[in-house]
Amino acid sequence: MAVGDLAFLIPVLPALAFVLTFFFGKKLPTGGAIIPIAAIATSFVISLLITLNLLANPEEVVSQSYSWFAMLNIGILVDPLAAVMLTMVTFVSLLIHIYSTGYMSHDKAPSRYFAETALFTASMLGLILSDNILQLFVCWELVGVCSYLLIGFWFEKPSAATAAKKAFLTTRIGDVMFLTGIIVLFSDLFKIFNGNVPDGVYILRFDEIFAHIPDLAAMNANILGMEVSHITLITLLFFGGAVGKSGQFPLHVWLPDAMEGPTTVSALIHAATMVTAGVYLVARTFPMFIAAPDSLMVVAYVGAFTALFAGTMGIVMNDLKRVLAYSTISQLGYMMLGLGVGAAVGSEAVGIALFHLINHAFFKALLFLCAGSVIHAVGTHDMRQLGGVAKVMPVTAVTMIVASLALTGIGIPGTSIGTSGFFSKDAIIESAYLMGETTGSWIPYILAIAAALLTSIYIFRLVFMTFYGKPRTDYGGHESPASMTIPLSILALLALVFGGLTSKIFNTFVSETFVNNFVNMNIHELATLGGYHLAEHAGEEPMLVLWLPLIMALAGLVITFLIYGLRIVNMDSLVSRNNPIYKLLYNRYYQNAIFTNFISVKVIYEGFAFAGRAVDRGFDWTVKWFSDLAIESGESLRQFQTGAVQNYATAVITGVSLLVILIKVVMEVLQ
Amino acid sequence: MDIMLLAPELAIVVTGLAVLLIGLFLPTDSKKVLGYLASLGVLVALALTVSSLGTEATLFNNTVTIDALSQFFKIVFLVVSLLFAIAGIKYTEGHSNTEEFYALGLFATIGMMFVASANDLMLLFVAFELASLATYALAGFEKKNAKSLEAAMKYFIIGSLSAALMLLGISYVYGATGTTSIPDIAANSGVLVSSPMGIVAVVLLLAGFGFKIALVPFHMWAPDTYQGSPSVVSALLAAGSKKMGIVAALKVFVVALIALKADWQIAFAILAVITMTYGNVVALKQTSVKRMLAYSSLAQAGYITMAFVVLTPMALGGGIFYALSHGFMKAGAFIATAAVGYMVLSENKDSADPDHIDNFRGLGKRMPITALCMTIFVFALAGIPLTAGYMSKFVLFSSTIQSGFVWLAVIAILNSAISLGYYAKIVKYMYFLPTDSEKVSEPFPYTLAMIIAAVGVLVLGFWSEPFIHWAMEAASVLITGGM
Repeated sequence: MAVGDLAFLIPVLPALAFVLTFFFGKKLPTGGAIIPIAAIATSFVISLLITLNLLANPEEVVSQSYSWFAMLNIGILVDPLAAVMLTMVTFVSLLIHIYSTGYMSHDKAPSRYFAETALFTASMLGLILSDNILQLFVCWELVGVCSYLLIGFWFEKPSAATAAKKAFLTTRIGDVMFLTGIIVLFSDLFKIFNGNVPDGVYILRFDEIFAHIPDLAAMNANILGMEVSHITLITLLFFGGAVGKSGQFPLHVWLPDAMEGPTTVSALIHAATMVTAGVYLVARTFPMFIAAPDSLMVVAYVGAFTALFAGTMGIVMNDLKRVLAYSTISQLGYMMLGLGVGAAVGSEAVGIALFHLINHAFFKALLFLCAGSVIHAVGTHDMRQLGGVAKVMPVTAVTMIVASLALTGIGIPGTSIGTSGFFSKDAIIESAYLMGETTGSWIPYILAIAAALLTSIYIFRLVFMTFYGKPRTDYGGHESPASMTIPLSILALLALVFGGLTSKIFNTFVSETFVNNFVNMNIHELATLGGYHLAEHAGEEPMLVLWLPLIMALAGLVITFLIYGLRIVNMDSLVSRNNPIYKLLYNRYYQNAIFTNFISVKVIYEGFAFAGRAVDRGFDWTVKWFSDLAIESGESLRQFQTGAVQNYATAVITGVSLLVILIKVVMEVLQ
Repeated sequence: MDIMLLAPELAIVVTGLAVLLIGLFLPTDSKKVLGYLASLGVLVALALTVSSLGTEATLFNNTVTIDALSQFFKIVFLVVSLLFAIAGIKYTEGHSNTEEFYALGLFATIGMMFVASANDLMLLFVAFELASLATYALAGFEKKNAKSLEAAMKYFIIGSLSAALMLLGISYVYGATGTTSIPDIAANSGVLVSSPMGIVAVVLLLAGFGFKIALVPFHMWAPDTYQGSPSVVSALLAAGSKKMGIVAALKVFVVALIALKADWQIAFAILAVITMTYGNVVALKQTSVKRMLAYSSLAQAGYITMAFVVLTPMALGGGIFYALSHGFMKAGAFIATAAVGYMVLSENKDSADPDHIDNFRGLGKRMPITALCMTIFVFALAGIPLTAGYMSKFVLFSSTIQSGFVWLAVIAILNSAISLGYYAKIVKYMYFLPTDSEKVSEPFPYTLAMIIAAVGVLVLGFWSEPFIHWAMEAASVLITGGM
């Protein structure tokens, strides 16, 4: 039996673990953590074996599809893209679950926690495995529900409940766009088939969709006086979904608030599940994006802008977890940029973006778990109260520094020496440069380079403020237990060497997802559909381009060391309410005031509430009238049931007679 | 003739007789074994029927036919009978007449099975009466309970009246066509079309079957009988015996009297609309859960009857599939009330109405399995997606719309909306109203029967396609046989 036949178990096992933990977890030690851990470990082994098998035999893509009923299919597809995602998600989730046994040991409801994280993981795995867009959407929504449950895990805290609601509602905006995209796609494909879908063909399956990209590109819609091809429309709507899930500007507002859940949940959301779903969606449907260069440009610009924008806010946050939250948004921006550069480099973009996604998963999980370790020991996440933690928690400090180096991307260009982030982030920035060269759009490159500097500043500021110097308050604390430090060490090792070891293999492996695989797309032909040409070969970039990201990273390190390590500048003069720039950044560009207070509350809530109330009242009245009528007539009809059997017999005979007459009458009328 | 073709029927007969005889020699305490024996016998018959799926044959001078339709309904009856037998294990505990309970139940099953395979009006009538007589006695099984006796008496009187009407109808058909064989009637029905006897025969037969299906106005016994009979017997009546009326009507109208289609289509249209509306509306105000379920099964019968109006292969298949789904949902729901009634009576022996909805308060805490299963059943009856009820309604209603009977579908859908009112009420009582009573243990046979039924409801809801396909095959027997 081929290992691919077991692929369906990958999401099923954690889903079963959810059921078992939910019902029986309370009776088991540590809230039944062993069940999800065992399930996810098995899923990880299967995923890893499938990935290795795919590496050795690229043609053994797992693709199974079952018709459930009518227009619904369930199917799984494990191609290189899905395989690496599966392996990463199961692996990171496994480590987070192990770590959680320590982290959640003092919590009141560990079994609920483990049940929900297991379901969260299962939904994400289901999303990755989906072979059709509808099933992907269902899992996508499940991921959303689980994130709601987990962010609001401590629901008795009002801030947690609000954050959960905010995350759910904000991503919902994206979800609606995604669903609209699916509906447009479905109706277009139905039109292409003229309504006659042959047996055994499921039109929402990815290979079917990809096969009809030329037809979709030929359809045009007129929106606000602009001719837009349907493929552009659909991809933009899909990207709208991705913007919500992956926290891109302007729907990123939920991500920092999502810190209200347990830190392990933040790690799970930010590293392995949820936020990467958006990036994965764009990667999954990448052939469609290739045929829609305008959408790719939007992806690139939004990504690059988000990378910089989030970075500026990251440098002023004082909360350990919030800095990391903005860092996630910024890095997701990089991934989106990586996909967006597909306008220049074609399918290689998938490899580049996914590589950064995987590396980011490792070092971001590590950053969060380190932060969790600190919070677990010290009990606060305000960096102003910390300092000198390195002395108390040496393992955590070392792994944190490794993670920071990986995030900033320290390495020597032109060699294979460097942290994971170095290989993937630099590849994205270089591709952005290439895009500037071929298409003349230099703005994404400039934004990305600037963001690299900010990345380095915010993360080393965090490191210096937390681990360096003397304690600013008397916090006590101790190194965390082995169940927490061992996952840290494993992740640290990966953050350090994974990039260097796999960069070449990985990129070719994943980039070939859409070529010579379950689909064989001619990327250049698709690009022609969009009316542009891809760069024929990756040209030699100037030395400066190769070295610039590293220079930026080092510059950031030096600046923060001077400010926070040696304290040559008095920060207090800068950090004040009177400094307009600080004020603007610290208040996060007043997004809260604009989005929440004005748009959400004033425009949407009050406006819609008014209209809604009027409509509601109408409905209420109709429904009430109808139900009153029904209940009243029930009451009066009950009188017929006298209980006397002679009346019953009369009814039978009357019925027979009346029926004969009625049939006669109706027959006459009909004739 | 291969006697093995009747193996399922023989298995039931043998079990029924064996239970009756063995019971004579057993002390009351050990009569529990009869329940297991009966369940085993039904299970064997079920296995034999399933293993002979796809067989087509006629026996006894063309009076018995085995085809996809008869096999389908036999399985419906056997499934209901199995649930009846399992639940009965608990119900008859400590009862000195256990053997009668099972023997009557099994004989009723035999009657139903022969109705399903009857190819001759006389056999159909005799089998119909076999099932009826057995169930009259079952309804009055609690000899010391006035309500149970009243239920049996009313059931018997109206039943006899209806049987007389049915026989009269058969005699008209025989008089006109000169035969009682169903295919021959179909061939000779020209005489009936041209004579006024046709309408009379149709209406009389309709009254006879309408009594079993419980169509308004032939339904009046049903609420009293379903409420008064032991719940386990009500399950057999509502889930099994009602389907017997449906399969008989299918055979007699759609096959034998297809030439009179114009007449009975109108009759069924009128009865379907009245029945579903009346059933749902009256159910709203009931305080007895059993009575509510009785009215709900009127409504469900109204939906199934739509198949006779639409009369396309898809609609007939939908109606037949609905019969299967309804078997699981209704039997399950009645068994759930049996479990609740058992609980109430074991707490207070003299409780006046153990099926009052107040007894369902806080059931989610007191009897979690029963409450969960009951929720599944009522949601299925209301037609909530992913249950058998939804798929049945979906197939039936969409085929109705496809054939242009939009008005009928609209009435049916509005009715479904009304029905949610009382189904949701049960769920509300079980989960949202508080109670200070303790958690009680749930009797195993009841739980087992409910879980089987609940699994059936969910399987039919999730993987409905093979079953719908199978129901369509059964329906095709009618179409090719009759048209």
